[in-house]
Amino acid sequence: MSRFVIIATMVFGLALSAAGSAQAADAKQMFDFYCAQCHGVNGDGKGVNVGKDFATDPRNFTIAADMEKRSDEDIRGVIKDGGPSISKSPLMPPWGATLSAAEVDGLLAHIRQLCKCKAK
Amino acid sequence: MRLLAVTVSLGAALLVMTTANSYAAGGDAIFKKSCASCHYTDGPAKEKTIADQLAKKGPELFYAGSKFQKAWLAAWLQNPKPIRPMKYNSLTEKNKGDHPKSSAGDAAALTDFLMGLTSPEVKAGVIKPAESPQAKAIFNKKMPCTGCHEFSLKGELHGGKSGPSLVGVSKRLNPDWIYAYLANIKVFKPVRDMPDFSSALSPKEMENVAAYLATFE
Repeated sequence: MSRFVIIATMVFGLALSAAGSAQAADAKQMFDFYCAQCHGVNGDGKGVNVGKDFATDPRNFTIAADMEKRSDEDIRGVIKDGGPSISKSPLMPPWGATLSAAEVDGLLAHIRQLCKCKAK
Repeated sequence: MRLLAVTVSLGAALLVMTTANSYAAGGDAIFKKSCASCHYTDGPAKEKTIADQLAKKGPELFYAGSKFQKAWLAAWLQNPKPIRPMKYNSLTEKNKGDHPKSSAGDAAALTDFLMGLTSPEVKAGVIKPAESPQAKAIFNKKMPCTGCHEFSLKGELHGGKSGPSLVGVSKRLNPDWIYAYLANIKVFKPVRDMPDFSSALSPKEMENVAAYLATFE
């Protein structure tokens, strides 16, 4: 009986971790597709659009000290409603009519992975 | 004599119709042979996921007749200069400008075929090219298109590189399609890296932006 419980737990755990990594892969794909054009594939703010005319530096998500200051709600809000919703640049457009709430959550999780940080 | 004239006229009319049909069919056949490996023309849009979009080698053309201007399309197919600074679906590789060239005859047949692919979402003859302070403010500041799209200012290139260039829109795009694309983008491209601005801008603002873009040299 106990052997059965151990095996069942292992199988369940494996399934969970597979689902987790699939979700992470989806979030990375979404980040690369929607965000990387300005924020860079590595999330360092060095996207292909950032040139001499780009009026502001897109957020560098890898700097934990900056990202800790942003609450999860702020990040969700700025993705959905654009930069001006938190008094930042309109170069960050509103994605709320494009992305679902689950997709925004996935992007938030990916951004938190990039900064290896949580909101303080 | 009268009967003969009528018969000849009918015959001539039939010949013209047959020729026109075979001309259009010619464009269809050329498209299938030369273009269909990268572009699709049978709408509605097929993409459901990001992976679907990334699998495409070139843009969908099922609404090409509503999107492009005929004279531009016929000329471009013979001398295809890059429209996007970056390779399609890439943020790292530049557009090499390696789109195949068509002969004048093939380009004419392809243009006839593609211009027949229209979208019911595009109302024709509504938007006229026009500058307005409102559109300029949206384009540059409020919802800056400049972040992702290149444009020409006094002969110099400015703006971002991830989207298609807006240089020469006045000759390339149909202003009515620009409006329809802003107002109902999902119908044309359900999965794309441009936000849906239809709830962020009013219909009047989208009309003005479309009219403004249609003035771009």
